[in-house]
Amino acid sequence: CKCYFNKLSQGGRVESAVGNIIIDPKDYTFSGLKGETVGRLPGKVAGQQFVIQDCENCSIYIFDHSATITIDDCINCQIFLGPIKGSVFFRDCKDCKCIVACQQFRTRDCRRLEVFLCCATQPVIESSTGMKFGCFQYYYPELALQFKDAGLSIFNNTWSNIHDFTPLSGENNWGLLPENAVVQDYVPLPSSEELKAVRVSTDAMRSIIPITRGRRQRSSDESCLVVFFAGDYTTANARKLIDEMTGKGFQLVQTKEVSMKAEDAQRVFQQCASEFIPLLEKGPVVALEFNGDGAVEGCQSIVTDVFSGTKVFVSESKASASQDVDNFYNFADMQMGM
Amino acid sequence: MCPTPWKYRLLEGLLSILRKLKSTPDQEVRILLLGLDNAGKTTLLKQLASEDISHITPTQGFNIKSVQSQGFKLNVWDIGGQRKIRPYWRNYFENTDILIYVIDSADRKRFEETGQELAELLDEEKLSGVPVLIFANKQDLLTAAPASEIAEGLNLHTIRDRVWQIQSCSALSGEGVQDGMNWVCKNVNAKKK
Repeated sequence: CKCYFNKLSQGGRVESAVGNIIIDPKDYTFSGLKGETVGRLPGKVAGQQFVIQDCENCSIYIFDHSATITIDDCINCQIFLGPIKGSVFFRDCKDCKCIVACQQFRTRDCRRLEVFLCCATQPVIESSTGMKFGCFQYYYPELALQFKDAGLSIFNNTWSNIHDFTPLSGENNWGLLPENAVVQDYVPLPSSEELKAVRVSTDAMRSIIPITRGRRQRSSDESCLVVFFAGDYTTANARKLIDEMTGKGFQLVQTKEVSMKAEDAQRVFQQCASEFIPLLEKGPVVALEFNGDGAVEGCQSIVTDVFSGTKVFVSESKASASQDVDNFYNFADMQMGM
Repeated sequence: MCPTPWKYRLLEGLLSILRKLKSTPDQEVRILLLGLDNAGKTTLLKQLASEDISHITPTQGFNIKSVQSQGFKLNVWDIGGQRKIRPYWRNYFENTDILIYVIDSADRKRFEETGQELAELLDEEKLSGVPVLIFANKQDLLTAAPASEIAEGLNLHTIRDRVWQIQSCSALSGEGVQDGMNWVCKNVNAKKK
């Protein structure tokens, strides 16, 4: 059968009824802009699909959560995309610098994208080259709730292990951004009065997404696994421990928020399993992996001082810690696999 | 799968028992799930299996699930749709009973591309006569084109060599999925020789 989609691809005015309100897709599209600073304030996208296409030398800020976003044929743009419930898909883009949070990250036919990324699943690229990735680093007051609205956990971020569908032999199509990359050198704060109303901070300590090393080189062969169980203060407790540990010079490698079953607890917590199994049914656990000489003792002492009333799993020793970490990721990767 | 009212589940269960008493197993149906990358194939697969759909990874190879429905055992093969790996689709053609082709109704930029891929599939010798269900997916999104528009753009009415159906759906919400699968179950043996 032949295909007559050309006329349909042009779009045209379409109205959609969402609830009882007619909304215009044009309000959720940035198309054909040159040299402009544009965006959407918190509450103005509210989980809808957004489309960005044919923009050049623009600064684009979507300060809200959305369903899915496609970015097509954009050149030399700086782009902030608030939490995306589904996928973000960059196609035919060049020389763009982005900060993105999403469930799926995809590119095709792109060159030289630099992305500070929070992605719940393994990012994929295809026929793309010169791609660089760093950890999402951003704050504004409404952002935390936007992550919830998008169904994204701040603790599930696999930003540093990219799957390339078109790998080259002998070269890499992608790499990591420098550790000391300054976010605002890539995506500046918005210059327009309207968007300045959003109280942004790009300070690492304030980032809604904990900064993780992921696959970056580790400084030590000592790790420590800490697991918090579901409760009212789980997120706050995890953040507190992260602040204390990083304040002492330890590094946060990876975080995960995942549901555990009794069998998983047996494998991960081993002798301590029976103590923790009853806590599993309350909800997903939050696991943190730290790295650094003395990390185990560092964790243990902070947990004793700060979290004395809370049930927390902490690795017993340097030797058992590396096993704890492996056991945890083995089960978590299976769980979150497909 | 096919979230059905309780009486259908009951019937399905009775049929299954009857078959086992007669030592006739449920008919196994091989379903191939294709479409461009990001169409929503894996979300659909997870929805069919009544599994959590809030955390899905882009498919690198393939996923396969077996689901009981209306007295059939549906073996559903969900194959990755990136451009680079579409040449591997043909490895899965043999013995397909039903082709389900998923389209992202809200990705207007790629309508031509998906139409092209579907056209090529319908020209494949090894898929000759195989009934095809086209899911016009992502109807929950703002720029989603209605199934009628997609059917027109794909020129579906010119398909003469097999039974076909287009179905609007949202794999995310489940809406329209059961209707599509009902058509599948009705046409399981409708492959044209």
